[in-house]
Amino acid sequence: MGDSQYSFSLTTFSPSGKLVQIEHALTAVGSGQTSLGIKAANGVVIATEKKLPSILVDEASVQKIQILTPNIGVVYSGMGPDSRVLVRKSRKQAEQYHRLYKEAIPVTQLVRETAAVMQEFTQSGGVRPFGVSLLVAGFDDKGPQLYQVDPSGSYFSWKASAMGKNVSNAKTFLEKRYTDDMELDDAVHTAILTLKEGFEGQISGKNIEIGIIGADKQFRVLTPAEIEDYLQEVE
Amino acid sequence: MSRGSGGGYDRHITIFSPEGRLFQVEYAFKAVKAAGVTSIGVRGKDSVCVVTQKKVPDKLLDPSSITHLFAVTKYLGLVATGTTADARTLVQQARNEAAEFRHKYGYEMPADTLARWIADKSQVYTQHAYMRPLGVVAMVLGIDDEVGPQLFKCDPAGHFFGHKATSAGLKEQEAINFLEKKMKNDPAFTYEETVQTAISALQSVLQEDLKATEIEVGVVVKGNPIFRALSTDEIDEHLTAISERD
Repeated sequence: MGDSQYSFSLTTFSPSGKLVQIEHALTAVGSGQTSLGIKAANGVVIATEKKLPSILVDEASVQKIQILTPNIGVVYSGMGPDSRVLVRKSRKQAEQYHRLYKEAIPVTQLVRETAAVMQEFTQSGGVRPFGVSLLVAGFDDKGPQLYQVDPSGSYFSWKASAMGKNVSNAKTFLEKRYTDDMELDDAVHTAILTLKEGFEGQISGKNIEIGIIGADKQFRVLTPAEIEDYLQEVE
Repeated sequence: MSRGSGGGYDRHITIFSPEGRLFQVEYAFKAVKAAGVTSIGVRGKDSVCVVTQKKVPDKLLDPSSITHLFAVTKYLGLVATGTTADARTLVQQARNEAAEFRHKYGYEMPADTLARWIADKSQVYTQHAYMRPLGVVAMVLGIDDEVGPQLFKCDPAGHFFGHKATSAGLKEQEAINFLEKKMKNDPAFTYEETVQTAISALQSVLQEDLKATEIEVGVVVKGNPIFRALSTDEIDEHLTAISERD
């Protein structure tokens, strides 16, 4: 992976057995904007802050939540440019699967392949690990699923999770609020409230992004107007 | 005990520092400022204008060979702020990529696609140790068939955004502050207003009145979406209009 001139890995073990480059990558994730995901009984919601460096930035040109396949979406915390690489590779892997099996790729398979790419960059020559953690939300035959993938390449399935700056407060909030029988609409409200907890400034449809997938198995990103509606309901 | 700093190499190649930062990328941003030039881009209702300083350090130099404004295709312009050598290699690759795109897909490469390509290439340099990041911030401008005037800025970290107005280089932050005030209520500038906002922003942050030979101005307008650099006479007209207005 990577046409590198370096034939040796830059990520090596420290005397205590740690891979410090991965730890530093996680630190980079931890200083990224907060994002979270919640798995409901009939769908999944993922959401993130969208804080732009200036009011001069055209916010319509930025979309952090990306679609990987019609029924799988992803959000990241950490370094935006790194996430673009992973999104591109995942989309291609999903398409290759479809070409071979004439079926939509199951969520677990796509997550596993993406995680494998992230792991390669912790071991291959001349590259550094990805500075992002991903939350992958999908709905396939096994129902709604939410996975978190870390820079090390390890992944877990979550009922609800958060990443980035406000991770500990967000997770505490989610632990209190989460119920197994939540509906997708409740989950969206909870996601908004969780983001609101650590939000600096006035939350609006233009500075957060929300992606949902329901029983229709179509992942989509909500428009700012739809987010405003949900915000009204939450007030 | 785990060694904190990666053996001291975290400052030399793009690996993570203990705080999760990439020092080489941060130093690349500093290299952009060290070039001593400021560039400004403004997007209007049906046009985009970019202005950049033209510093000729020696009287013996041929001023026509000094430029930061490049046409990537007939319709796409690129302002490269930062180290000249890195700028030239970026432009060369961008021109190649845009030409291949046109050949492969049968239509002109849109501004956002070019910006994304530049940003993705920059990201590779932040992740692979064998190539350093380029010390260049690139502003791409063009008229998109579907959404109209576009202005994108790509940086050494691999970020790219669309902008209503932006700046790069030495006085980047001052210029952005100036532009934020001007663009606060989403004004829809005409062509003249776009050019004059860009030029007066540069004059304001440099705190001096500029001569037409000291700046380069590039524009692209909806009715005739060919990217072109204004001549010294045209720049003079705008400068006069600005001083009369004030």
